[in-house]
Formats: sequence, structure tokens, C-alpha cells
Amino acid sequence: MKVLSLYQERDTIIHKVDPISKILYIIISIAIPIIMPYKTIGLVCMGVSIVLLLIAKVFKKVIPLVSFSMIILLSIIIIQGLFNDSNKTAAFRIGSIVFYKEGLLFALEICIRVINILCAFAILVLTTKPSDLIESLVRRGLSPKIGYVLSSVLQIIPQMSSTMATITDAQRSRGMETEGKLKVRIKAFVPLIGPVVMNSLINTRERAMALEVRAFNSKANKTYLNEEQNNSYNKAIKLILVILFIFVVAWRILI
Amino acid sequence: MKKSNMWSFKLSTASIVLIPAAVGINYIGKLFAGVLKLPLWLDAIGTMLASMLGGPIVGAIVGATNNIIYGLTMDPISFIYALTSIAIGLVVGIMAYKGWIKSIGRAIVVGLVVALVSAIVSTPINIVFWGGQTGNIWGDAAFASLIANHFPVWMASFLDEILVDVPDKIATVLIAYGVFKALPKKLTILYSNDNELEQL
Amino acid sequence: MKKIIVENLKYKYPLTDELALKGISFDVEKGEFIGIVGKNLSGKSTLCQALVGLVPHFYKGGYGGKVIVDGLEVSKSEISELSQKVGIVFQNPFTQVTSCKLTVYEEIAFGLENMGISREEMRKRIDDSLKLLDIYKFKDRNPFDLSGGQMQRMAIASIIAMRPEIIVLDEPTSQLDPKGSEEVFKAIQNLSKKGMTVIMVEHKMEKIAKYSDRVMILNDGEIVDFDIPQKIFSRGDLDKYCVSAPAFTKICKGLGIKSKATGLYPITIDEAYDLVVNYNE
Repeated sequence: MKVLSLYQERDTIIHKVDPISKILYIIISIAIPIIMPYKTIGLVCMGVSIVLLLIAKVFKKVIPLVSFSMIILLSIIIIQGLFNDSNKTAAFRIGSIVFYKEGLLFALEICIRVINILCAFAILVLTTKPSDLIESLVRRGLSPKIGYVLSSVLQIIPQMSSTMATITDAQRSRGMETEGKLKVRIKAFVPLIGPVVMNSLINTRERAMALEVRAFNSKANKTYLNEEQNNSYNKAIKLILVILFIFVVAWRILI
Repeated sequence: MKKSNMWSFKLSTASIVLIPAAVGINYIGKLFAGVLKLPLWLDAIGTMLASMLGGPIVGAIVGATNNIIYGLTMDPISFIYALTSIAIGLVVGIMAYKGWIKSIGRAIVVGLVVALVSAIVSTPINIVFWGGQTGNIWGDAAFASLIANHFPVWMASFLDEILVDVPDKIATVLIAYGVFKALPKKLTILYSNDNELEQL
Repeated sequence: MKKIIVENLKYKYPLTDELALKGISFDVEKGEFIGIVGKNLSGKSTLCQALVGLVPHFYKGGYGGKVIVDGLEVSKSEISELSQKVGIVFQNPFTQVTSCKLTVYEEIAFGLENMGISREEMRKRIDDSLKLLDIYKFKDRNPFDLSGGQMQRMAIASIIAMRPEIIVLDEPTSQLDPKGSEEVFKAIQNLSKKGMTVIMVEHKMEKIAKYSDRVMILNDGEIVDFDIPQKIFSRGDLDKYCVSAPAFTKICKGLGIKSKATGLYPITIDEAYDLVVNYNE
């Protein structure tokens, strides 16, 4: 069964870094461009992220991630370029339509910020198994029940998708229309989603009972089947990131 | 739905199991809306159902989990909108607790309130990240024409969001309400925290 | 010491006025295999759940009487405490999968992690359970990639890894195909041979007759009879309780062939065969 994950299995040093460090990295690479509002800082952070992605050999896989946002970024460039309030200086024309410099620069800023965030997240998402990430968090204090919730969703979603295909076929073979006018399509929604929803809700009772008898509410200290991956450089990385952050904050305050 | 305390953080096992199921329902709503090419997101049916069944805390957790998992496994930008999902869960949960899901008319009101709150929470996020746009064609077209006519960005963005949210959230509430009404009482009491053990 | 003591157990689900269990009393010795039969809604599932604490702690409702399992009083103990004394397996193999673990091996570890068992001990118990249920070869597979019978055996393995000495099975094969059912019964028989106390609700009477030391008929929340299978299936009023005797017993009943020694009808196919052959000689 397909598990919900963007994880790319590779044997690189980035993959071996623990998930918490990667989360710290994300926070820092988003925070630094905000704290130090020099135009180039965003590009620098993005550059660092891209280098890390290349080291992790997952750079190509970022493209689909970014493409999710490509359309909206494009529309932002167009709309800001045309209509931004502070538009004065013309940058170029297409026929009789004028694109302005101020709007385009504003749009560029937005693009850099968004791509920066996406690249930083990509490092986490492409090089860490979600189940490892969740277990790391639970080891550090996240409630195991929330850990259970997060882990379950990872499997429930692919399952529901595959049931969906079966249900759609079944209903179609019973004569339900799924194409055509809007009214027709709206009418199809409830009979499609109804059975799945009712089923999953009714099952929660049995699922809850099954968990209870597996000591889900035990007050004992939880233990772990898997050993924690602890590499020597993990502590060093976290330390470097924290020091960098403090440095940047200090710079901003003092300068 | 009488609950001893709607803000109780003590979740029963049944409520905990409800959360992933609700996220699954959110996902499948989104999926079917896509397959049927409906002009709505319909991606919060599960969140609202969970709020109606288990209260605002459960609904909020469903919302947060929803966006965290989407962010980790599909689209990182979802992370940021967790705030909106949490707000939806809270609003529906609070209004359900106060008896606002007793009739279709009231449910529509809930839908409007949710749309409003959702827009209020999403707009600052939209402005910071997307310069005010939402990614929805109709909404962004409206946004474009508004700022072309020199409306302030925050207003244009807010209206962009509301245009999309009002029909979407009302439809979502009605669907969730319909399902909620159809559930057997045996099931719905599992999520309430104030069953008492009686001595026979 | 008696493994299970039930004294005047009464139970009423929330939102109902009628009692699901109306004052049940019985004992079970260590190592016994108890079969429970009766029509639907006779209280069989409720009784099973009362042995593990789901009744009353999961539902609340109204509770009276006492259930003592391996020294622990159910109404005064947490379900997680009781899970180390008694385990339960339900009908639907699918809903017993935790869905938060990616391999069968980790799935079985779930209960052990919750209990705080050490890693070494965990590995030992999981390996033992996997081998006992004959699913060791699936240990690295995703739990949802198993067949119904395999999933149900995984559920049983997950429960026995917690090392209870009693296991309750509530219609464990109802949702399985014949192959899956056979796999599960074989596994249950293994457990029983190892000394486990087994309580099984089933509709497949041949199996109940074959494995049980004693059989209980439940009807309308009360015990109708609790005795050895030969006596239970020799009763003339089984229809009244929607209990059907094993096929060969029915045949012998129809032909009036009883065992000369006990004056009761045979309950296994071998017994029936012998008696019929002798009858015809």
C-alpha cells in the first residue's frame, strides 16, 4: 500500500541529520530574512537551502513541490505588475498593456520569500520519513496520542483514496452521472461521499475499543521498539543553528 | 449536545480515533470536489463533523493535523494555513455546543460565521505570503479588479477570500450537518465526556 | 485459583432501560476452553467486553455485580491494567489494525510500547507471537497488505504479545473466508494447548463442540445452561435459543443414536462415526 510521503530514499549526510535539526533550520531560514530585511538575505537563505538540497541529491524533486505554487506566483507577478498601487515606472509593455517596475519588484520579493520557504521545507520533507519525524517529536515530549493521530493519518489518506476509486466505479455502474451540468455533478457528491463518511465514523467505535485493549491509556512510561538514530554531529548542528540565530537577532538589535 | 465543559482537554479514546478519520473525510471531500470539478474546496467537512461530535478542541486538532500532514506530504504551504483550519474547528465546535446546529437555517448561519472567521484569519496570511491573493481564479480576478480601482489591499484581499469562502463554508456546514443528523445516537454519545457510571 | 469469577453481573448500556446482562454468575478455571453460544443480542458480546473492562469503562452505563479476572476486580481496574491479564479479539480484522504502524512487526510492538516493556523483552515477545501465529514471514509487510485471516492472526499476535493468560474471542472468524477461518482456529487451538484460558463466542458449532471444555448458552442476558458440550448439544430445546447442534449430532439425534456410556449424543465426527457404525452392526 502506498504510504503518504514525499520521502526520497538516498544515502546522504543530510538524510542522516535528525528531524529536529531540520525543523530548527526551517524556522531559522524563515526568520532570518524577516529579522534582517536586506533584500539579498532572502536570496542567500534560498541559496543555502538549494546547496543543501543538492548535497541531499533531491534537488530535482523540489520542482513538483514548487510547481504547486507556480501558478499562483505567476498570477501574482501579473496582477502586481499591472495593478499594484505604487506603480509609477513602466518596466515593459506587451501591446498596450503596461507592466510596472514597482509591482514587479514587489512580486519578486514575494516569489523569493515563498521559494525560500519551500526549499527549506523541502529539506525536511524530502529527506525525512514522516514516521521518523513523528517518533522524534514523541521522544522529545509530544503526546504519544497526538503521535498516534499524526501517524494514522499517513495511512488513512491513501486508503480512503483507493476506496474512492472503488466507490466511484460502483456508483457509476448504478447509473449515477458524474459528468455534465453543474447540477448533475453537485447531485453526485453526496452519494459518493456518504458511504465512506458513514463507514469511517461507525468504525471509530471499534477502533477505539481495539486501542483501549492495547493499553493505549496506560500510565506507564512509553518505550520504543526502534533505537534512536543519534549521530555525533546532530548536537553540533543544533548548536550552530541556535548560535547563528542569536547572532542575527543581536546584529539587528545592536546595529 | 450537553457537555460538562467544552474546553476540556481530556480527550476520550473515541475522540482521538475520530481525528484521523475526520482528516480522511476532509481529504476525500477535497478529492471528490476535484473529480466532479465543483467550484468549491469542500475540504473541511471532516473538521466540522469532528467539531459537532467532539467539541471545539477536537475540531481544532483535526484542523491542525490536517494542515500539518498536508504540509509534510503534499504541499508545504499548507502548514501556514493551519491557523485557518484551527479557527474553523473552534468556531463550529463552540457554536455546536451552544445549540447552533439544530436546524438547516441555523446551520447556514454557522456557515456564514465560519466563512467570516476563516476569511479574517486567512487574509493576513494571504497578504504576507501572496500579496493578498488566494489562488482561486474567481477570487483573484475580483482582487485584481479591486486593486486596479485603488481599493486598499487588505479590503481587496478580504473580499477575494470571502467570495470564495461563503459558498464553500455554507455548503460544507450543510453537508456536515446532514451527516451528523444521520448518525445513530449510540455513536454520538461516545464522544461526549459526561457519561456517568451508574451503580445497579 | 479460579481464573475468572463472575458474580451476579448486571449491565445496562447508556440511553437504554433494558438490561443487557441480567445477573450472570459463573466461574472459569485456569486453562479451560469455554464456548459461548446464543442468538444475536443475547448478551454474548457484552459479556466478552465485561471480562476485559470495556464494559463498563468504555461505555459507562449502569453496572452491578462483580467480575474478578485473575485477581483483579474489573470495575475497579483500568482497561490498560486488565489488558495484561486478559486480551480480546473482535470480529472485524480491519478495525483492529492500529493504522499508526508501517510493518506487522511494529504493529505488534504497539501494545508493548504503551506498557513500557524494554526493547529486548519486546523483541523476544514479538518473535514468539509471530511464530506462534505462523505469520513470521509477514513481519516486514504493511499491516494493510494482509488477507483477512492473516490480519486476524496479527490481531491475536498483538494481543498475546502482552502476555495475558486469558484470551476472549468474539466471533473471530465471522468475517473471514473458510481458509482464513481454519488458520485462525488452528492458532486458537495452539494457544489453548499452551495452557491459555480461552473464551470463544462462535456460531460454527462444530468448532465449539470440538474445542470446548464447557459450553455456555446465553439468552436474553441470562445463562440458560453451562455444561460440557455433550450435555449442551444433547438438549432438545436448542432451537429455542437459536443454537444449532453440530451436523453429525443432529443426524444422530434424528436417528436416536446415543452413546451407551453417557446416554448423550456424540459431538465429534469421530464419535458419531463410531456410534453409527456400531448401530448398524
